[in-house]
Amino acid sequence: METLTFEFPATRTLNSYAHVGVVGSGDLEILLEPSSVPFVRVAVRTGSQGFEKTWGEVLERFFTLNDMAATIKINDFGATPGVVSLRLAQALEVSQNDNKHVKA
Amino acid sequence: MTINMLKHSLVELDARSRAESILDEGTFRELLDPFAELESPHLEKQGIVPQSDDGVVIAKGRINGESAVVISIEASFQGGGIGEVSGAKIAGALELVLQDNRDNERVYPVLLFDTGGVRLQEANYGLLSIAEIGSAIVALRKYVPVIGLVPGKIGAFGGMSITAGLCTTLLMTREGRIGLNGPEVIEQEAGIEELDSQDRQRIWNAIGGEQRVAAGLAERLVADDSPAIKEAIHNAFEADLHENPRSTQVEQFCHLINSVEPTDDLQPYEVRKRWNSIIEGETFNYDRHRDQAVDAEGRGYTWFKALTGIVSPKSEIPSVLCGDKQIGDSNTRFISVVPDTHSKYPRARNGEVGLEQGWAIASYVHQAIEEDKDGEKRAIVAIVDVPSQAYGYREELLGLHQACAAAVDAYATARMAGHPVVSLIVGNAISGAFLSHGMQSNRVLAFDDEKVNVHVMSKSSAARITRRTVDELEEATKKVPAMAYDIKSFASLGALHDLIDGVNFDDPTRKDVELVREQLNEAILDIKISSRDLSSRLTSMQAVEQGRTASIKVREKLRELW
Repeated sequence: METLTFEFPATRTLNSYAHVGVVGSGDLEILLEPSSVPFVRVAVRTGSQGFEKTWGEVLERFFTLNDMAATIKINDFGATPGVVSLRLAQALEVSQNDNKHVKA
Repeated sequence: MTINMLKHSLVELDARSRAESILDEGTFRELLDPFAELESPHLEKQGIVPQSDDGVVIAKGRINGESAVVISIEASFQGGGIGEVSGAKIAGALELVLQDNRDNERVYPVLLFDTGGVRLQEANYGLLSIAEIGSAIVALRKYVPVIGLVPGKIGAFGGMSITAGLCTTLLMTREGRIGLNGPEVIEQEAGIEELDSQDRQRIWNAIGGEQRVAAGLAERLVADDSPAIKEAIHNAFEADLHENPRSTQVEQFCHLINSVEPTDDLQPYEVRKRWNSIIEGETFNYDRHRDQAVDAEGRGYTWFKALTGIVSPKSEIPSVLCGDKQIGDSNTRFISVVPDTHSKYPRARNGEVGLEQGWAIASYVHQAIEEDKDGEKRAIVAIVDVPSQAYGYREELLGLHQACAAAVDAYATARMAGHPVVSLIVGNAISGAFLSHGMQSNRVLAFDDEKVNVHVMSKSSAARITRRTVDELEEATKKVPAMAYDIKSFASLGALHDLIDGVNFDDPTRKDVELVREQLNEAILDIKISSRDLSSRLTSMQAVEQGRTASIKVREKLRELW
């Protein structure tokens, strides 16, 4: 297991918390909290060692295309880059549109 | 022309959405949601990524307007395995539902099972939690029906199949399966000639929803359609609380297992047929013609004989010894499971808890409850030396999990009725066998000896299933005492009342026996001035300081959010 952290600049603020995914084989869980500082900070815990560079590239690409200020926690169980990007997009969508996941 | 419409599958949903789908729209309120971040404190140390909700969703809400709590297990995370946090979420929620119902506030508990049982990486925490969950369910059933659903994907296995066996009403889909030992475990422990775990048809025919409902091991078959499942759950709210739940139907199930001959090539339809004939009143009594001798070996036998003073123990079921004897001022019933090399169930000849043993324990305990109904409640001592549950195809087909649930139910019922229940671990206390025989007692005593082991699975099997070597497994036990096998590690979790030392464990002298009797007497007297639940396991010094800190914290937080 490995813990990785990343930070990218961001300007757009988000509406609400979002939780998507599951720590199941080939999948991952994302916890997204809106942030008031101009950054997106990502902490990844992954069961697969040695993929720091890949994570950096996948995340950088996503956050270059999607401006969002947030604190994100990822619990990963061997998701592929495609699954990571899909889950991130889903978390963003839930945070913007879906009221039922707003933290009480 | 009829078109088959796509249904609202519940099986395809994750645990959270499953809970949402059976609650009235807009009423779902999750307690300890992912942002509470109460994750397992034991997984990261072993290099395993935890999940923010530890794989269990607790949701309050309404079902057709009536107040309910839905407990939903996420099968995709660690196979739905029960660890310390996930177990405490389930047990803690049920304890609060119990409190509400005792306070005349009707709240219906609904459990969605999708679990392989104990999470092997947290081993004994899983066992302790499952015992507490079972205790809460037996207590709850007096006030409100407890409804279980096995929707399918994994099913309900291991200790959680026992939990499902305790529910007032159990609903299953065709895809759902329930059994004590999963097919892979049976193949591993008993060989491929016993069961080929790849043979899907044979497995579903034996332990799938359709068979279980037809053979009296679940109440209703439901289609995998959320609205239909919600209706079935709501209908189950009307269950008659005076009717005996499955886990107390000792007589009928004894007839069922007595009806089986060792040479039978038992088929699932045959089991249905026999069950139906029993429901209609046919009886099958125990074959008294066979050899009734008891194997005079093992610590379970030695200590049963020593503590009861019975010179040559005899029993209707030679592998379950039962005898009454005074301890101090208390009448006391001793129950011990021992080897029986002549058992007609070949998988239960070495002291395992199998079908006959589970139902026999239940029967002896219920007999004591019934006889003492209006008088002094005798103490019950479970002498524990059980190497495992029985691993076999026939065992699963005939509902081994239900036999175990019956024993759990009996001990828990006795304890709540005021019988002081003590377990004395003299040897092995493993897995489903220990859950059934020993884990429901008010107080647990154990010999401080290296031959005394408490665990959920043999080391080699646990290593194989968690994909580690035995050495790696041993290494992990140093970081997580709940994974260790020795009795001192188990004691550090706070569930032991006392360790007994300074006696000859295999060949006790008269003085040794006296010393153990004194310890039992002390435990019985202590029980008489304490509560009848299992809370002492969470309030002991070891539990509070280190052993059960997460279990305690989860309960506190749940109470705050309730």
